Order: sequence, then C-alpha cells, then structure tokens
Amino acid sequence: MTEDRFRALAEAYGADLRRWPLAERDAAQAFLEANADAAAAILELERALEAQLEAYIVEPSPSLRGRVIDIAPRARAVDRTWRWITALGLGLGLAASVVAGVAAGVSFVPGSVARLIGGGEAANTADDSGLLADPTDALVNG
Amino acid sequence: MTAGENDTDDELVRRAGRGDAAAVQSLVARKLRRVLALAERMLGDPAEAEDVAQETFFKVWRYAARWRPGVAKFDTWLHRVTLNLCYDRLRRRRERPTAEPPDTPDLGPGPDRGLLAADVGRRVNAALQALPPRQREAIVLCHYQELGNIEAAELMSVSVEALESLLSRGRRALRQTLADLAASE
Repeated sequence: MTEDRFRALAEAYGADLRRWPLAERDAAQAFLEANADAAAAILELERALEAQLEAYIVEPSPSLRGRVIDIAPRARAVDRTWRWITALGLGLGLAASVVAGVAAGVSFVPGSVARLIGGGEAANTADDSGLLADPTDALVNG
Repeated sequence: MTAGENDTDDELVRRAGRGDAAAVQSLVARKLRRVLALAERMLGDPAEAEDVAQETFFKVWRYAARWRPGVAKFDTWLHRVTLNLCYDRLRRRRERPTAEPPDTPDLGPGPDRGLLAADVGRRVNAALQALPPRQREAIVLCHYQELGNIEAAELMSVSVEALESLLSRGRRALRQTLADLAASE
C-alpha cells in the first residue's frame, strides 16, 4: 500500500483500521508497521476530528420510548384494516376514511403519525413509494 | 413469551407483529436510539427527529406481521425508512423556507457531561448541518451508525468510490468548520 492510499483511506474512514474496507486492512496494517511515524501523523489528524464527533451524543427520552411503544397496537390495527380493504377491492378514498376511523380511538397521536394513519399526504411520501419500488418491498407485500 | 438479548431482529419483528409486548419493548430498546440518532444528526432538530423516529416505528409495527426474514436485513430496511423520512423533511424545508431555523439540540451538561463536552457537541451539530446533505449522510452512516462501506454505499445508491469521496470531503469540511467555530467563540 502506498502512503497516498493509506492517507485516502484514513481521510475517508477515520483513524480506526477496523472501520476500513476489509479487503485493504491487511495492507494498511503492513504499511502502518513499516512506516510508523508517517502513519501515526496521518491517523492522529483523524483521531482529533473523531474525538470531537463523539461529543455529539443523542439519547432517546423515556417519554419518546413510551410513545413509540404505545403506538404499536394501533399501527397493527391500521395494517389489518388496510389489508382487509385491499382484499375487498375498495377504492383508496374510502380506504382512507375507514382507516381514519380505526385511528379515532387513539388518545394521543402526533400530527405526523396521524397523517400516516389517515392515509393522507404522509402516507404517499417518497418513503412509501420508495418502499414500493424497493426490491425489499417483497418483505411487506409478499 | 419472553423476548431476550439472544433473539435476532427478525424474530423480534415477527413476534412484535403478533402483538408480543415483550418483543415490542425489546425492539425499541435495541433500535430506538439508533433511529433517533440517525434522524437527529441528519436533521439537526431534536423535535423533528423524534417525529421521524415515531413515524419510523409506526411503519415497523404496521408491517411487522408481514416481515419475511432472510430477504433483507432488518437494520438496513430501518435505515432506509428513516433516511427517506429525513429527506422528505429536508425537501419540505427547502420548499417552505421559514424565518425560524430548526431548534438546535440541547446538548447541555447532563450528569455525565461537562460544559466543554456540551459546547463541542453543539459545534459538531452546527458543523454537520452546514454540510451538503449527502456528505452528512455518508458521515452519519459510516462514522456514527458504524455501517460498513458496502452497506452504506448501497443505502446511498452510490459506488464505494463515490462514498469515499463524500466521506473525505465531508470530514475535511467538518474539520475546517469546527476549527472556525472554535476560533470564533
């Protein structure tokens, strides 16, 4: 491995060789052992950046955990209703109305999730159409 | 029925789809932080990130009963759903610019964090949000979410070479922005 390639990999993947592409790790390790000082200087620059990146911590709140758990039964009910409607061959407009009715019993639903339940705009976002076009959609529509 | 640490993602999803409350809780314990972290680092706004996390899990619960193990990795699917929701919101921001910038995360000192760490965290968020979305996505997927290069490239629909270019440019820009922010404070 050349120094240029070692540097390019460090600049992309950082200071930890365990995160480097599997196929290049042995060569990178060999370069590091043969060129300790040069390699150390390259890696130290990336290590300093990563020390800063690690200061940005994200933790879910207990209330978020509770809300995510609480919506599970209603989401399953929505899926059952959609599948029942699809099996009956009903139109999408009627389907959205029925599903909205299913969701009516939810005591607290965030606006974004309510739109998903009601089959409104959010249900036709790029996410849903992306899923439909995605080969992995066989997972959910098979 | 109990759900434990040894259950695979596929097993937990299938059992959650059958209404197994323990499986639901285990999946949340295993994946919520990961989903929220991806959303917040992509959007820079904790409230929007919570919305995305809820929407993501709504889709998980909605489709869980029909999940077919072995066709794709659940974690990859989860990332794809979360990213699509994030990009929807980023697109809506561009289409409806507002006078108010998104809320910045409260990275204030918790019991385990000092003032200095919280300041650095806020600067990192600002530096990440200053990146073009694709560079930000590459760094979030590879550095924070610890995805391998092949998996990250597939999620982003780019080649590994393109991913490396996004990562290098993004990391260089981050380093410069963080240095500028530190110097200006």
